[in-house]
Amino acid sequence: MVATNHILVTPIYFIALPLFFAFLLPLLGKIYKSFIRIVPGLMFAYLAWMAVVLLLYVYKTGNPVIVKIAGWAPPIGIDLVFDQFTGFIATVIAILGFLVWMYSYLFKKVEFDNALKYFLLLMLIYAGSIGVVITGDLFNQFVFLEITGISAYALTAFYRGRDGAEAAFKYLLIGSFASTFVLLGILLIYTQLGTLNMADIARNIDKMDPTIKVIAFILLFTGFGIEAEMFPLNGWAPDAYSQSPGPIGAVFASMTSKAGLYALIRLSFTIFDFSSANELLFIMGILTLVFAEGIALRQEKIKRMLAYSSIGQIGLIMIAFSFNTYLGVFAGIFLMLNHALVKSLLFFSASFLAYNSPHKYIKDIQGFARYMPVTALMFGIGVFAIIGFPPFSGFWSKFYLLSAMAEKNFVILIILVLSVSLIELVYYFRVLHKLYFAEPTGEYQPHTPRWNAMLAMVLLALIIIAIGVYPDLVTGFIGKAAHAIMDKTTYINSVFSI
Amino acid sequence: MSNLQILQITFYGAAILLIAIGLYAVVTKRNLIKIVLGLSIMDSGVNLLFITVGYISHKTAPIFSPSVMAKYKTIHAAAQAMVDPVPQALVLTAIVIGFGVTAVALALVVRLYRHHNTTNIDEIRNLKW
Amino acid sequence: MKKAIAIILLAFIAVELFVVFYKIPFGADRMNVARFYLENSPKKLGVANAVTAIVVNFRGFDTLGEVTVLFLASTALGSILFRRREIHTRLSHLRTSVEASVIVRIAGRFLVPLIILLGAYVFIHGHLTPGGGFQGGVIIATGFLFLLLAYRKFTIEHRTITFVESLAGITFAGIGLIGIFLGKTFLENFLPAGKLNDLLSGGIIPLIYIAIGFKVAAELTGILDTVLSISIDVKQKEIESQTEKNE
Repeated sequence: MVATNHILVTPIYFIALPLFFAFLLPLLGKIYKSFIRIVPGLMFAYLAWMAVVLLLYVYKTGNPVIVKIAGWAPPIGIDLVFDQFTGFIATVIAILGFLVWMYSYLFKKVEFDNALKYFLLLMLIYAGSIGVVITGDLFNQFVFLEITGISAYALTAFYRGRDGAEAAFKYLLIGSFASTFVLLGILLIYTQLGTLNMADIARNIDKMDPTIKVIAFILLFTGFGIEAEMFPLNGWAPDAYSQSPGPIGAVFASMTSKAGLYALIRLSFTIFDFSSANELLFIMGILTLVFAEGIALRQEKIKRMLAYSSIGQIGLIMIAFSFNTYLGVFAGIFLMLNHALVKSLLFFSASFLAYNSPHKYIKDIQGFARYMPVTALMFGIGVFAIIGFPPFSGFWSKFYLLSAMAEKNFVILIILVLSVSLIELVYYFRVLHKLYFAEPTGEYQPHTPRWNAMLAMVLLALIIIAIGVYPDLVTGFIGKAAHAIMDKTTYINSVFSI
Repeated sequence: MSNLQILQITFYGAAILLIAIGLYAVVTKRNLIKIVLGLSIMDSGVNLLFITVGYISHKTAPIFSPSVMAKYKTIHAAAQAMVDPVPQALVLTAIVIGFGVTAVALALVVRLYRHHNTTNIDEIRNLKW
Repeated sequence: MKKAIAIILLAFIAVELFVVFYKIPFGADRMNVARFYLENSPKKLGVANAVTAIVVNFRGFDTLGEVTVLFLASTALGSILFRRREIHTRLSHLRTSVEASVIVRIAGRFLVPLIILLGAYVFIHGHLTPGGGFQGGVIIATGFLFLLLAYRKFTIEHRTITFVESLAGITFAGIGLIGIFLGKTFLENFLPAGKLNDLLSGGIIPLIYIAIGFKVAAELTGILDTVLSISIDVKQKEIESQTEKNE
């Protein structure tokens, strides 16, 4: 309820600074070549710090930070909402943005032009993802979704290989469908309510014609679902994950899919008041989970396997949110955090494992643990964390998910989740087995990570272990976030009280 | 049938027809360029729909030009005689975004053509679709 | 068969959409926030064109995103078509295989300055008349397209384009940030609104639209230039594959 206009700390900077520096970066690069690497890093570090400060402020005072843009209070102007829920997700994205930058600090060190474009696109995909999360305006969310989408297409086709362009084209095709659906949904809402502000729409949703409301919801749900890698419209995801540069897989897993998922959750929890929205989320979540984990089992390439596993996790998150109970939402947010952290670590380490094998097949990496023990160890930590072994963060997210299910007496679901974990165990351990116990063929000379990549991976692993050993580090924030997303009235009131 | 109804059927029908044509091209055509054209047509349909929705019968463009002000004297009276400006502003944004996506799509088509020497989608499939 | 299924499915979607949209009364006044925009764009901002007021001020944040999308498109084009620079130096003389006719070349001398002038007029008067930064920028880019098509020797320095596009982008984002530093909000108007229908009215709105005009013009020109150099590349490749076949 506080309209902070602090000069140093305001949610505006999450979007304004990346855009400002993206415009500035080509000029800075002309002055001194290394600026194109250093300046984004300083910015990411600053924004990560700012996100933590804002989150602590919101956590302590219990008041969301809401800023209006161009001096017009909502619903006239666009507002940015940094509350317990959006703030938490924005903070996760901001911290991972910094780690991705650290990981790719020396990326394409010799090539100026490519490095410039890479860092530009990284900054814009980051700004787009955070924009989707913190904006309070539906059309503005669409604009940020498109920024995220176009930078993702460009990053997918970043490498000169033949299949990159194909994967990107496929992604673009499905992404264009998504944007058409979202636009039509927004249009239908506008014709009924004459407003685009989410809180204003949520407040007046009863005034909509029932048929139009259902159609608008379905259009928006499909559109955002595509971005969130929901079944059956996620055919683009494995290709995009596997064709893009290594760290970008982590970006897709931790930023873009989270942005799409956030939009989906905001849509079902706040904007529309359907009780059947939860059932839709539930069915879609189950389908996504089963389909993705089933296919992941048969993957021969390491990055495709990780991508399908990532889609499976999205399904789990959707199931958790669909319970619409405090414990379920709590588990969902914990899973989102866990997925963002662990998948990033897996992609970080796997891209070094895959980098050395020309075809990126799982069988090619056998015995690599001897050449790069630290990277292999990081991959191992990631595997244990994603399956849910203690003492890693994944244990707690699965633990809360199962307790949410137990609370609702969903025995069949518990069995399903446990058997899915078993499937995960099988396909991840197959890789670990090859990595550690198979004899190296000695055909490929491993390319060991540089210090910056190593540092980023170790930091991530430390965070994962810290949360695993001491979950109270985050449970407080997640608890408040769960309350914030479930409490629609407070959201609406706080937006209109500035 | 009143004039307004005829207009309504024409405009909504035309816009939705454009969307359907675009979708049809994207789904059935095998040529990459035609698929991109289909996406553009789909975008145009959505944009037309936006503009149609913003129309209010017997009202004028939302510009307070000197002649409009001379006719209506006060700002309030002039504002009463104007169509909804918001869809027009949104369409401006949507057009620019559509342009950006089309440009990227065409660039990707060129990349694919360079690698495969064809724009036929059936001959390109290296990845699973 | 596949086509028949597609047609049936699409017909279903189209009918469904039509039924939904037919429920929406056509030509009816259903303004809510729009009413506020119409009343206040002349009163509070001194902007005659209400659409401009919405695009640049009320929903200015969308426009910042929109400008970013264009910037992104030109960056993405550069990164997807990675061979651009090399082509540019090696093959720029090949851009048009046939010399443009003398009529085109002579007419260009008269037309291009006028086109650019019109573009500048459109974006400078964006807050008074229909049009604005995007439209003006596109008009200017067509002027450059004319130059590229008509004169084989005409080349565009990519550094200049980068410079203009960066500077204009910084101006837009910078004007927004000044609002924060003055203790107001991002993109808030901090200049006097002026008298309605004056050229110098609307506070920061004309400034932002001029920056957008420059940015769009530079970006579209860059994109056109890139696309033209691709066409040479593709043509070159066709020639190569033809000769290969012949051999």
